[in-house]
Amino acid sequence: MRIFLKNPLALSGLIIILTILILALVAPIIAPYDPNFIDINSILFPPSINHLMGTDGLGRDVFSRMLYGAQISLLVGFVAVGIATFIGVILGSLAGFYRGWVDSLIMRFVDIMLSIPTFFLILAVIAFLTPSIWNIMIVIGLTSWMGVTRLVRAEFFSLRQREYVLASETMGSNHFSIITKHLLPNSLTPIIVSSVLGIASAVLVESGLSFLGLGVQAPTASWGNILTDGKEYIQFAWWLSLFPGLAILITVLGYNLLGEGLRDILDPKNKN
Amino acid sequence: MLIGISLVSFFIMHLAPGDVTSTEASFNPRASEESRQKLRELYNLDKPVIIQYGLWLKRIVQLDFGNSFASHQKPVLWEQKDKSGNITKGLIQESLPITLMINLIGICIIFSISIFLGTLSAIRQNSWVDRSITLLVFIGFAIPGFWLALLLMYWTGVSNQWLPISGLHSLGYQNLSNFGQFIDLLKHLILPVSISSLSGLAGISLYVRNGMLDILHQDFITTARSKGLKETKIVFIHALKNAILPLITIVGLSIPGLIGGSVIAESIFAIPGMGKLFYDSVLMRDFPVIMGILTIGSFLTLIGNLLADIGYAWADPRVRKGLVK
Amino acid sequence: MKKKFLLLNLTTILISSLFVISCSKEYSEVIDYNKEYKIISGGSLINAMAGEPSNLIAMIAGDSASSQIAGNIFNSLIKYDENLNYAPDLAESWEISKNQKTITFKLKKGLKWADDRPLTSSDVLFTWKLITNPDTRTPYASDYQLVKKASAPDPLTFRITYESSYAPALDTWTSLHILPKHILKNEDINNTFFSRKPVGSSYYKLKEWISGQQVTLEANEKSISGAPLIKKLISRIIPDTSSQFLELTADNIDLMNINPIQYQRVFPARTDLQEKIELYKELGNGYTYLGFNLKKEPFNDIKVRQALNYAIDKDEVIKGVLLGLGEPISSPYKPGTRWNNPNLNPYPYKPSRALKLLKEAGFKKNDNGQLMRDGKPLKFEIITNQNKQREMTAVVIQKRLQEIGVEVSIRVIEWASFVNRFIKTGDFDVVVLGWGLSLDPDQYNIWHSSQQGPGQFNFLGYSNKNVDRLLELGRKELNISKREKIYHKFSKYLLEDSPIVYLYAGYGLSAVHKRVKGIKNPAPPAGIYHNNYDWFIPNPLRRNEISAR
Repeated sequence: MRIFLKNPLALSGLIIILTILILALVAPIIAPYDPNFIDINSILFPPSINHLMGTDGLGRDVFSRMLYGAQISLLVGFVAVGIATFIGVILGSLAGFYRGWVDSLIMRFVDIMLSIPTFFLILAVIAFLTPSIWNIMIVIGLTSWMGVTRLVRAEFFSLRQREYVLASETMGSNHFSIITKHLLPNSLTPIIVSSVLGIASAVLVESGLSFLGLGVQAPTASWGNILTDGKEYIQFAWWLSLFPGLAILITVLGYNLLGEGLRDILDPKNKN
Repeated sequence: MLIGISLVSFFIMHLAPGDVTSTEASFNPRASEESRQKLRELYNLDKPVIIQYGLWLKRIVQLDFGNSFASHQKPVLWEQKDKSGNITKGLIQESLPITLMINLIGICIIFSISIFLGTLSAIRQNSWVDRSITLLVFIGFAIPGFWLALLLMYWTGVSNQWLPISGLHSLGYQNLSNFGQFIDLLKHLILPVSISSLSGLAGISLYVRNGMLDILHQDFITTARSKGLKETKIVFIHALKNAILPLITIVGLSIPGLIGGSVIAESIFAIPGMGKLFYDSVLMRDFPVIMGILTIGSFLTLIGNLLADIGYAWADPRVRKGLVK
Repeated sequence: MKKKFLLLNLTTILISSLFVISCSKEYSEVIDYNKEYKIISGGSLINAMAGEPSNLIAMIAGDSASSQIAGNIFNSLIKYDENLNYAPDLAESWEISKNQKTITFKLKKGLKWADDRPLTSSDVLFTWKLITNPDTRTPYASDYQLVKKASAPDPLTFRITYESSYAPALDTWTSLHILPKHILKNEDINNTFFSRKPVGSSYYKLKEWISGQQVTLEANEKSISGAPLIKKLISRIIPDTSSQFLELTADNIDLMNINPIQYQRVFPARTDLQEKIELYKELGNGYTYLGFNLKKEPFNDIKVRQALNYAIDKDEVIKGVLLGLGEPISSPYKPGTRWNNPNLNPYPYKPSRALKLLKEAGFKKNDNGQLMRDGKPLKFEIITNQNKQREMTAVVIQKRLQEIGVEVSIRVIEWASFVNRFIKTGDFDVVVLGWGLSLDPDQYNIWHSSQQGPGQFNFLGYSNKNVDRLLELGRKELNISKREKIYHKFSKYLLEDSPIVYLYAGYGLSAVHKRVKGIKNPAPPAGIYHNNYDWFIPNPLRRNEISAR
């Protein structure tokens, strides 16, 4: 914790993320309205005491929708990155541990995936599979594992030659336990950092997909689709775009600050 | 490699339910199923996937990407001449230069600003300058692009009328002189280019910063310092050169991201580039165009990587010497 | 190092040009848009389109952008006038034979194509042959295939004979653009330069088409109807509607379609916009409905359908989604036209009646307030395509149905998947979609029980012997008042059976810059664009254009 205090940016990132996590968790308790409650007599009301962030085109309370949207946006980030990290760790471990043709096969695949414009891939798959929140998470996950794979592989390459790894190999430990007991725990730092940064990108990708009409679908609120609804009235109903815009900005910023901060803190070079 | 890319693209293509005959136009009370079936046969969509892939691969080798389904037989890649000498331009031929232009300018801007900011951050490590630069570039990364785009369009286009809002050319730009046309284009590009480069700043400037920090702690810098060389000279000549060297490889790697990211900017600024073309083709199930763009996009990345490797070899004295030997 | 300086230089150029531009703006004098101005020709009109036209041959294209532009370039034999009666276009007159199977069109004299070649009945015959040719990839052939025999006995006469009398015949000839034989006779219509370089006969001709950016039309001086007042029509392609609206408020475009919120909320709040932009509203050409999959439980039960109809508050939908800019309907025809049965009324919003009907159908409320039958809850999914209004409509309906204990989920699906995965396979519960309010009352394709095959339009699976009979009769009956009775009866059956819940017919809303004069307000039944060749832009109000030097 003391190290966090020395790094104000990382600290603020941590605070932002924790705050938003808590808000998302307690959304059902603190939200003043049902996020999908329609009131056609209060369409597009500006922010007031009754509606802290105003109302949208169907008279729904934007503040409540923002709180529930936080759940969705965070969920998308976590699950997508979870999938990407899972695939990345497995493929990276295989490539880094066995090397040889396994490695070249996997790395070839990584190269292929890296050279296709990822957003195009996501766009095509989501349009073809019909957009749903699960499809979005899975597709983002399936298209963003390449970085983790490379990181894990690189870590394994350098760790493989350490004495304790060689020792346990000669002692006849099976490969699985060498990987999970010795190699993975020691490669955790880059994995964590890249996961935290990955969540930030996933949140942005969701909002981009919403803009194109391929994001999380109605009536579920996500920050991306609240912002997209609001973009038509940027000069008139400013509250519809300002709040979700800022929420996305702050959250993504928080993850980035936290991720980079963690990198600095956990980097052995910076220990002294 | 290319075969791998084409396999991945082709696999995705066949996740798709429906085909070009199912777009809005065909859902008309007076259209019949027979006429749709007729279309499907004409486009070989009734054949098994493997055969479709084979047919496609065979044509790709001859650089024949076929013709678009949706925009009525416009060639996908390059212009075609019909028997009466009328030329129809290719879809990618028309849109790729625009996307490339925006992204190349974008890359130039990203790199020059990033090198500047990254170096500044590194020499003032952990100062408030360093922290505010980090914060600023992260804000640039984190802000949803289309939201900022609309705000800027409103501010510079409606309330102040400094810049054009959307499109690539003003009305009647053909009547301008060459220089006038250039300035006109430049004006139209300012917003889209700034929006699309903003998100790239964070990654590259941090990369430069961390690279600089590594190098500034290395022995040869310490030696240089002990020799009494001026600090500015050390930083700008010895350290910077070594720190930006690896950036060359990043140029190649960042191409797919930039091309992919162009979808949103092109939609909002009404720029007829490849991102917009791709998005439209996806919605229209225009498979030849989708395949064409994925293949060309990946191909560009490969070329980018190759150029980057060559550039790296040329710039890095160690590798260069190795080559000479 | 040199490279780096080059990059820096580029940046500096970009940044400095921003400053140069920001200083170069000139302010023009205040212009009075509301003054009376003399009719004068010249000037150009700029409008915005969301998509690029695909092909200017309308029989092959089919997207709205293409037909909008092609409509300014080509003529049909006849057209609808502003009150939606048949009026001469290329044909000066037409005559229907006694047995009602043959129609003879007489063309106007001295018709010319934009390239100065004469336009004759052989062009019309050519066009008919083209659209009925099996090799032509058109979805519109079926209407014209009903013509048994077509001939052009002399250059001014075109005669067609149907197998049996076909009431919608004239309507079909209002939408077939006549194409030039002399250019197309040796071309493959499916793949011809003509689709991007058309030669037509109407008020405008294509001047320039910059892919993805704009399509420019200019006045066709050869047009038989005379030249239009506005000399240039420029359609800019701006995919994003928020960007379009910014362009409109910045005076860069003259015309766009707007949404109810912009119409009802944004404009009233902005006097600066009211000063320069005029709003128009006209009843649109379509209606939105909620349709049941009649082949599925429990929607095969008329009581369930009627109950759900009573449980949906259409006024709330109109107020909430359209901000009041829509009309409730009770038949698939435009309110106020002869085909609309004035004695029919929409199902009123009566949740108690709905619950009573559902009880009769065997549904009981359990302790959680859910409606149950045979241990299963009344639960379904509404699917709709990516259309903001339909999506919002589904959300409003969902809320009302949940109040009476019906569990409703919503899924919004992009169009191509929507049609293929759900509509064609019949794998859906309930849809929110739209149909056109056609000018001819024939609804055979949508409601006849024979039209249920995959890809056909009776995908809801509606089948009613009485309706089938009426639809068959209506197609053959040429006497208008008899026809009217047939379709009034048809509408009554349809409303009673409740295969769909009519939700609303929305207004089409346009915002037009006040520099454009001569637009009829309020809009005539045919819509504001009906007389766009009579619109004009007075000299002082014209936009400054960069002129040739």
